[in-house]
Amino acid sequence: MPFFIAGDCLDVLDRSCTEECPVDCIYQGERKMYINPRECIDCGACEPVCPVSAITSDLRISEAEVPWRDDNAAFFAEPLPGRDEPLGSPGGAAKIGPVGADTPLAARTPV
Amino acid sequence: MIDVDLLVVGAGPAGLYAAYYAGFRGLRTAIIDSLPEPGGQISALYPEKMIYDIAGFPGVRGRELVAGLLAQAEAFSPAWLLGQSAHHLERLPDGRLRVHTIGGETVTTRSIVIAGGIGTFTPRPLPVGAEFLGRGVDYFVTDPSAYAGEHVLVVGGGDSALDWALTLEPIAESVTLAHRRPRFTAHQSSVARLHASSAIVRTPCVLHEVHGAESVERVVLRDTTGGELSELACTRVVAALGFTADLGPLRDWGLRIADRHIVVDSTMSTGVPGIYAAGDITDYPGKVRLISVGFGEAALAVNNAATAANPAAALFPGHSTETAA
Repeated sequence: MPFFIAGDCLDVLDRSCTEECPVDCIYQGERKMYINPRECIDCGACEPVCPVSAITSDLRISEAEVPWRDDNAAFFAEPLPGRDEPLGSPGGAAKIGPVGADTPLAARTPV
Repeated sequence: MIDVDLLVVGAGPAGLYAAYYAGFRGLRTAIIDSLPEPGGQISALYPEKMIYDIAGFPGVRGRELVAGLLAQAEAFSPAWLLGQSAHHLERLPDGRLRVHTIGGETVTTRSIVIAGGIGTFTPRPLPVGAEFLGRGVDYFVTDPSAYAGEHVLVVGGGDSALDWALTLEPIAESVTLAHRRPRFTAHQSSVARLHASSAIVRTPCVLHEVHGAESVERVVLRDTTGGELSELACTRVVAALGFTADLGPLRDWGLRIADRHIVVDSTMSTGVPGIYAAGDITDYPGKVRLISVGFGEAALAVNNAATAANPAAALFPGHSTETAA
């Protein structure tokens, strides 16, 4: 479980990160971006370009960020609202485009 | 047509070390990589980063590690196929394998070690000016002297962009570097050298239009803050916007693939006779994706491939100390 995106991304969706990711593993939800933990190769290219410093490695995680780390994984492992199947590993965000849904944590967190 | 005992696919750290090991075992070896420069992820993503977990090196800069691996592999003079992509795989009637490259080259080999990392790196395309590719627009600087007397625009803010801008600055007539963000991701010392050089730095600024008849003659840059357009006399554009990676044609080689990785056993065999894998691309229970593990897997893959191809050969290669090259 390498890099993840925390709540600072909510309603920002700058997407500079997606221009850096060499494996296209950063997916767009309705209110924030999510890094696919099974596709991320831990290169760290996304972290410095985030304008709101929302991206962190799980090796330097603070207590408060744990739910967001788990939430990144849940975006892919659990079926999102309105879907029957989890996203899993689509093998590239560009292939599926904006997902148009969020995890419960992201959906209910106020800005 | 190249005829070898072992073909290494991928010239990153695991692939370069596999080429060394194959040479050490006396195998005729070829090594192929889609990028024109060896070093794989290290060269493409973090040439200036210090690496602290290479056995025997308390700290080594990415590009220095690559230089060392190259010198080690070069001792046995493998055939280099850089800037070429392994594409189609064919099994010959005598059991050997034949790989066709996208460039039309063919390699016939007894064994293959796939050290493909995260897959084939493809340069991220420029949003405009793609029609000038090879006519003034390039994704790599392979021969800096070809830029003598040219007005060069380098686009990008990473290590490659700054490396190329700094390399070309004393050679070219002029060098301008445009980056879409005010901050660079390149190493700070390179950024300081760039600002101290004669190169013109334009940020936050993107390439808006490319104009020319036969080749590039001028470009239009757009300031992303205010949106102002400005024209620049420019004869060569170097796009260094990073890379994307994909397993690509390897998906069609009949291998077991799980989540972009190739499943191998404890001999690094893919299960397809003659085809082994090593480094970040492999997967098995307990896998750890580190360069140090990749080196071990490269040695495993080559030695097991050598005995599979020639059952009379010992699995253990002997100690390198006893066979000074």
